[in-house]
Amino acid sequence: MTTRRFIVEPRGLASARLTLAVPLIAVLLALVVGAVFLAVTGNNPWDVYVKMADTSFGSSRGISETLISATPLILTGVAAAVAFKMLVWNIGAEGQFLMGAVFAAGLGIALGDGTPSALAIPLVIIAGAIGGAFWASISAVPKVYLGTNEIITTLMLNFIALNFMNYLIFGSSSPWRDPLVPQFPSGRPIPESARIPEFFNRLDYGFIIAALLAVLAWFLISKTKWGFEVRVVGDSADTARYAGISVPRKFLGVFLMSGAFAGLAGSLYVAGPVGALDPRSLDLGLGFTGIIVAALARLNPVAVIPVAILMGALNNAGPALQSIQIPAATVTMLQGAILIFAVAGEFFIANRVRKPEKKPAGAPAAEGAGAA
Amino acid sequence: MADHADTLAVEFRNIDKAFYGVKANDNVNFELRRGEVHALLGENGAGKSTLCSILAGLYRPDAGEFLYEGKPTVFKTPKDALAAGVGMVYQHFRLVSNLTVAENLALGHPKLGIRISQSELEEEARQLGDEYGLPVDPSARVWQLSVGEQQRVEILKLLYRNAKVLILDEPTAVLTPQEAQQLFKTMRQMAEEGRSVIFVSHKLHEVKQVSDRVTVLRQGTTVGGADTADAEPRDLARMMVGRDLELPTRDENLDIGGPMLTVDSLRVDGDRGLEAVRGVTFEVNAGEVLGICGVSGNGQRELAYGLVGLRIPTSGTVHLDGEDVTNLTVADRIDKGFAYVPQSRLGMGLAPGLTTEDNLGLKAYRKPPYSNGPMLAAGVFKEKGGQWITEYDIRGVRPGLPIRLLSGGNLQKALLAREVELQPKALIARSPTRGLDVGATEAVRNLVLAERAKGTAVLLISEDLDELLALSDRVLVLYEGQVAGRMPADEATPERLGLLMAGQKEEAI
Amino acid sequence: MNESTLILTLFAAIGLGTPLVFGTIGEIITERAGNLNLGVQGMMLVGAVAGFWATYNTESLLLGVIIAMIAGSLFSVIHAFASVTLRVSQIVSGLALTIFGTGLSSFLGEAGSEPLVGEPSKATFEPILEGGLADIPVIGPLIFGHDILVYISWLTVAAASFYLFRTRMGLSLRAVGEDPASAESAGVNVSRVRYIHIMIGGALSGIAGAYYSLALVPTWQNEPIGAAGWIAIALVILASWRPWRALFAAYLFGAAERVQFTLQTMGEPWSNVPSSLLAMLPFILAIIAMIVLTSGKRARFLGAPAALGLPYFREQR
Repeated sequence: MTTRRFIVEPRGLASARLTLAVPLIAVLLALVVGAVFLAVTGNNPWDVYVKMADTSFGSSRGISETLISATPLILTGVAAAVAFKMLVWNIGAEGQFLMGAVFAAGLGIALGDGTPSALAIPLVIIAGAIGGAFWASISAVPKVYLGTNEIITTLMLNFIALNFMNYLIFGSSSPWRDPLVPQFPSGRPIPESARIPEFFNRLDYGFIIAALLAVLAWFLISKTKWGFEVRVVGDSADTARYAGISVPRKFLGVFLMSGAFAGLAGSLYVAGPVGALDPRSLDLGLGFTGIIVAALARLNPVAVIPVAILMGALNNAGPALQSIQIPAATVTMLQGAILIFAVAGEFFIANRVRKPEKKPAGAPAAEGAGAA
Repeated sequence: MADHADTLAVEFRNIDKAFYGVKANDNVNFELRRGEVHALLGENGAGKSTLCSILAGLYRPDAGEFLYEGKPTVFKTPKDALAAGVGMVYQHFRLVSNLTVAENLALGHPKLGIRISQSELEEEARQLGDEYGLPVDPSARVWQLSVGEQQRVEILKLLYRNAKVLILDEPTAVLTPQEAQQLFKTMRQMAEEGRSVIFVSHKLHEVKQVSDRVTVLRQGTTVGGADTADAEPRDLARMMVGRDLELPTRDENLDIGGPMLTVDSLRVDGDRGLEAVRGVTFEVNAGEVLGICGVSGNGQRELAYGLVGLRIPTSGTVHLDGEDVTNLTVADRIDKGFAYVPQSRLGMGLAPGLTTEDNLGLKAYRKPPYSNGPMLAAGVFKEKGGQWITEYDIRGVRPGLPIRLLSGGNLQKALLAREVELQPKALIARSPTRGLDVGATEAVRNLVLAERAKGTAVLLISEDLDELLALSDRVLVLYEGQVAGRMPADEATPERLGLLMAGQKEEAI
Repeated sequence: MNESTLILTLFAAIGLGTPLVFGTIGEIITERAGNLNLGVQGMMLVGAVAGFWATYNTESLLLGVIIAMIAGSLFSVIHAFASVTLRVSQIVSGLALTIFGTGLSSFLGEAGSEPLVGEPSKATFEPILEGGLADIPVIGPLIFGHDILVYISWLTVAAASFYLFRTRMGLSLRAVGEDPASAESAGVNVSRVRYIHIMIGGALSGIAGAYYSLALVPTWQNEPIGAAGWIAIALVILASWRPWRALFAAYLFGAAERVQFTLQTMGEPWSNVPSSLLAMLPFILAIIAMIVLTSGKRARFLGAPAALGLPYFREQR
């Protein structure tokens, strides 16, 4: 009888070192894959990577731009992390982000210049959360009460939100559109009083707010009664029902919370660096990148922060690559590869793969039947 | 029967197989002759199912040697095993419930052409069923069949492939005693045709009745074997358990109190919208165990759901200690004093990915000291959890590890600890010792009996008649969602219950 | 809307629906084996760029389609390995495939000294079966005069239907999707069945992608397929995992896409409807159809494979 080549065993609890090492290896392997494609298309991968690192971390301005890019990714990452952990497949952070931006910009414009910042800024930020949660509810309510597959509906709503934003700016003379430049459609700037102040080059306090919100998400999930119930539902819905926990209500709560976080990403971006509902600055796939962030952070809301900074750095480097004739899509390709390796890495975090032990001496050898 | 090596169908030498570091088979040796019914005897967890799954190609052994018809052989997959003529009827049937009987027979059959015809398949299935006296409707979808019929399909599946070695893993567990007798006839018929049958069981009287030879497994290793005719049941029992062991039974001298759980004309729907519990009435007194028996799928699950609130009854009432709880939610019923041990520990009773401590707090977390307002008191989970882990002897717990890594016995002890610590008025337990080894069975039975002694009303729903009779004061038989009969446990025998479970009317009731 | 506009719209709907037919049939086959592959969008894009590149370099449409199939199929192996062999979440693995495929196809289109972006294809599909029977009113002009891939898509639907319900492999495939443990103990190799049908799904998605880059818009541009991959996944559910229903569902969505062009040609006031609102139409249609068709008790009759989305581990205890 052949003994087996590999034995796969679940680890139970993975060591902290391993959970740190696997995502790092995933990033390295993705860089290797990227290098292969860069080399095949006639580029020097080393030069490209050096250029990227230099753009994103090589100067104080670079660092601040990286953190600006990271800010929405922290929140879309948390949005995906809390949802996926509970097996709520909200793939709609993209649309929820855009609707958060639409709501935030709308309120900012409506409030006008007269409202004091201490009031305007929080209101605009909260408007984004409401926009995101509202957009998520279009999928969440049918999911919870009718059983409609949320993967499809959240996805479709991404495209609807994108077209809706385009309609507001390109297809109509809505209040979101800047009336001063009618020949070149763009978003109407929100008043200065509703803009989040900057503190480090162009970096605004939105980054700090995003990081604090990520910690808040972790706190809600791991330290509160609600979070305990949510963890039970995420682990086994039947067990939750058995223990008297209302599964639909928890499901709805997590779904809306996820949408709210994605919406907050939109409002912080609009009230921060962008300053208007500007489709060119907002249609960057930040919702989808949030999924990568969440996967690489192993769905831990706090680990999302450093991972978002890494992805922000990649995003930030994209445009600079074009100046040396490298496609900006290099960044998307790298991010996709990172996600694939991070996902595969989950297997190695969850399982131990080893060679079978040799039988002790004296026991009949296993090789006897090996040829059969 | 000649005792030559060439009459051996199967030979296992020194087989090892571990799951996650726990040895399920450790140096197992086993021989199967052609044309015999060979009983594989052992307690739950002794490694019988693992050994059979290796023979059927489902698991691959970590080490050891396996000869099939005298030749060293490797079955890498069930497909290899089937091609060589080895097939298995698993405890949990391996039938695709959305396919028809005929399609299940055809599935994976190597001799089928590329194109298949439903009507030809059905005709073949019908003929084979007639030939072996195993009638089933070949065009029916499997989910429409009763458990006994599904077992027939499983056996037909093997005969359709002309299997030479048939492994039946605890086949009688889902049958009434009368159906079991019919199965034994089929088994003898197959052996007479020269096929070899492995009969897995932990019931001595069945082994004694149907088998030619017997091999005994204990704690994953072979401890002995004999011709059944020469074997004394007492010796087999000792070999199987490793010591003389009397499992705990109820103390008949305890007082029984007044009605605690009263169920009147209860009706509950099943999964597919059909009524599964059809007007059931009974009461359980304080300090009494009422046993509910019946062939699986006769409304037991829905009855339990209706009582604990997982499914709201369509009509009828449930009273606990005089209070109407019929329309209360699960959470409210827990408050009122319901405890529930579901059939599937990891499927429903426990959250597999959470820690043992979290699971132990799963029903008490709503109130202080486990939580203060919206905040969780992690320290209390640890403290109480640690206390119960010691008190209830829950082994294998390591901090931070998910509970699913515990063994079945320890899972069940943890689950029962949590339920019992609720100080319930009524405990509803479904097959609480199913799949547990002797030690854990003993512990679980003691916990259930301790509840009875404390004055809890215990409803024990089980398909294991021996256990039901050992623990219950009274027994009630469910058939197609209705009460087919009820009697004091002293007057019940397996035969009498078996007839009722099969839907036969008993005049005296 | 007059009769000829209607026929023109329906004719165009068949063209626009054709890549959806390929993609949906591919995903139906994959999902029937119990594997949910959300990587359709990525596989289509990889197929689109590979097919375009092959035709661009060989001027052969046949080679373009074949290379697109091979590329889509090989690309899908990533998902098969992650979700079948490594048993990671099918959902996350499929999303990863889409994100990687999107980046990869854009990258390959822009990279190199002579990037493909903006280049017209060196060959495009021409209508066949014109004239003759095309004179039959209504039906004639709808059925005749498409390019060859439209007819191949019809054959694909028929073949898929026959394969699923009338062959031994189809039986194994359905059994694996319903109950892999039972299928395995009946001698079916679950992993192999899943690998093969994920790859068939990949190949069909590859054709779908090539149909965009070689037939519908035969010039390379970034992400030429719109959201077709996602729509195809929705169509699988709306077609309740049945090939013939997929054909008609795909044409319905083709028509929804076509409406915005049709309205442009119809003059005031129709042409004033903003195109960004019309572009929402297929997505709104998908959501409404999902809610109406798949809710509550109706879901049970849809026939989703019971083991869809679940990883299978033989030695799971």
